[in-house]
Amino acid sequence: MKPVVHPLKKYTRSHVKRTTTCPGCGIGIIAQATLRAIDELGLDMDGFAFVSGIGCSAWTPSPLFNADTLHTTHGRPIAFANGVKLANPDSNVMVISGDGDLSAIGGNHLIHAARRNLDLTVIMVNNAIYGMTGGQTAPTTPKGLRTITSPYGTMEHPFDISPMVASAGASYVARWTTYHVRQLTRSIKTGLQKKGFAFIEAVSQCPVQFGRVSKLGKAAAMMENYKVNSVNIRNTEGMSEEELEGKYIVGEFANIEKEELSQQWQTLKYNMAEAV
Amino acid sequence: MAEITTFSEACKGMDDCGICAFICPKDIFHPSGKMNEAGYIVPELRNEEDCIDCLNCMMYCPDFAIVAIKDKKIEEVRNG
Amino acid sequence: MDKSRVRTGDHFQIGNWACTEGAIAAGCNFAAGYPITPASEIANLLSSRLPQVGGTFLQTEDEISAVSAAIGASWAGCKVMTATSGPGVSLMLENIGFAVASETPLVIVNVQRFGPATGVPSVGLSADMVQAARGSHGDYQIIALAPESPQEMFSLTVRAFNLAEKYRVPVFLMADGFIGHMREQVKIPESDTIDIQNRKIAEPTETVLERQDFLSVDVAPMPVFGKGLKAHVTSSCHDQHGMRNLSDPQTMHNYVMTPIEKIKKGRDDIVEVSSEGLDDANIAIVSYGTVSRCARAAALLARQEGIKVGTVRLVTCWPLPDEEIRQIAEKVDAMIVLENNTGQMLPYIKAEAAHACEVSFLGPEILGQIHDPEYVLNKIKEIAQ
Repeated sequence: MKPVVHPLKKYTRSHVKRTTTCPGCGIGIIAQATLRAIDELGLDMDGFAFVSGIGCSAWTPSPLFNADTLHTTHGRPIAFANGVKLANPDSNVMVISGDGDLSAIGGNHLIHAARRNLDLTVIMVNNAIYGMTGGQTAPTTPKGLRTITSPYGTMEHPFDISPMVASAGASYVARWTTYHVRQLTRSIKTGLQKKGFAFIEAVSQCPVQFGRVSKLGKAAAMMENYKVNSVNIRNTEGMSEEELEGKYIVGEFANIEKEELSQQWQTLKYNMAEAV
Repeated sequence: MAEITTFSEACKGMDDCGICAFICPKDIFHPSGKMNEAGYIVPELRNEEDCIDCLNCMMYCPDFAIVAIKDKKIEEVRNG
Repeated sequence: MDKSRVRTGDHFQIGNWACTEGAIAAGCNFAAGYPITPASEIANLLSSRLPQVGGTFLQTEDEISAVSAAIGASWAGCKVMTATSGPGVSLMLENIGFAVASETPLVIVNVQRFGPATGVPSVGLSADMVQAARGSHGDYQIIALAPESPQEMFSLTVRAFNLAEKYRVPVFLMADGFIGHMREQVKIPESDTIDIQNRKIAEPTETVLERQDFLSVDVAPMPVFGKGLKAHVTSSCHDQHGMRNLSDPQTMHNYVMTPIEKIKKGRDDIVEVSSEGLDDANIAIVSYGTVSRCARAAALLARQEGIKVGTVRLVTCWPLPDEEIRQIAEKVDAMIVLENNTGQMLPYIKAEAAHACEVSFLGPEILGQIHDPEYVLNKIKEIAQ
């Protein structure tokens, strides 16, 4: 009798025995969705480089994924990934990191990468808080929420990241929640196949930090909230601001064909080699 | 029905996680009252024959702690 | 179009040009940079030279992104460089620490300028010496070379790449605005006479646990990406396989100490000094970089007046040529440290020399203006009494 093994385990390092996330955390769901996307596309892990920053979400590929992984400094995975991809344009370079890492300290790198349209696939795990350091407010934290650094209520308005990245010039932008595992997997596949900057925002539950301060409850309750309060972007036309209040707008925000940077570099190098 | 295997040593518990119970459309996962070595209450399966092969449990478990293998007969029927 | 890597011949060129040509000759195939005076010419020239030799140049949105992209490209197998000035290094320091901890070959050119803050962009001042060694947080060592001419901006850039590859460490080239923009003769030799070193690359194994990718005093072979090595590279404290470990005290100790020991072990290979007239000298002038020209001029003037003065130029500033300085201190009566700053290398030099001779410091009369040899001669005469 062959022992039963999770079909995606073959993509993980054999000596990494446990996941490092809190009970109910959505990061593991996103890790599975990513590996499933790679599996369904029949891609070789040896053709990948996974780059991540600092924070719980950055632990998605490192140390779990059995491939070249680069776990960088806070906010900088996209900056490092630019070099990894341009140096080896044939590789699949994925960045998986959190909302604080990619949109706060790393915000500048994010919008420029979208503008450059370099062929990276970025998954931003958005749990709307700084989880690892104890629950501080993030640029994605809803206004009014009392966190450990906004004890009188978050005064600032949050970013709406996906439309922002789309307007910066990305070829593909999608947002799903951990409730939408099949759609998330599909979007990751589209992102991987897209020749250009692909950005997938994965809204994820942080039951220990966000769940606690928002009083939304534990993991299951938070996912129920995603289920009930998600609206596909295709259905938002005609909806008022009040109707969209507190809703998660999911779906594809951008899907365009556009010149891609590493291909432009290949063309330049080719022309240079031919020139006298 | 799919063949469901749970890996209790990887489970983070029905109390704080319990995503399998939440996502299963057929209410198959329940707290077993037993703890694994880490102190988490692991699931037990009830009415497995109700399973519709959706594989949600396997896909949604954040800890890779559930494997659901599709019933070949049902797959053949579905694929026509 | 001249697409050759090595532009052999006699050139009359600025230091920044020579530095670029040194990088290309050394095999650089990726550079990232952000415009900053007085280093911009290097990025300008790299953007046109790199595609000619099949390389890539990325102008980034800031210096943090520049050094990050260079490190990423190094992990993907390229020989990489970034060129900036003091303010840019200040921004890059966190990731320079990353390059140290992850043992990434990297060349950082600092065409130093007058600081602090925005200061005077186009005036050279060698005041980033301690920043190179101690600017990033934590305990670590790097290599820093100090060219004194456009010619050395060629040859020491080649050496910087070789040391970076050999020791898997970031190497600083401490130039300044004077030699960056100074035009002088630059002889570029035949390409087959230029020694080029390349990093050792790891052999494939089942997992990272079966090989040593980091933390060897003999420099572990680098698990470059894209070769199926499944490298695990992390900025966290890690073991010799690259796997994160924040609980074992010995691992934490090795994480800091081994990269330091690695450089210490190679010091005889890394350290280079250039001395003149020390055989019978009573007074030695210690300097590095651009002011060394003045040191030699002052020594000449002193000799003409019957004072026995020799010079020692630190070609390698970090690791400090401690043994060399100590040996000289034990032979002379006095050392004068000449620096174009307020005395950055002075305490380190003094620590090696003060037990054996008198050590004094002479900065320029006016900061930002290179020492006048007559001014230095007066100091020599004062000491000679």
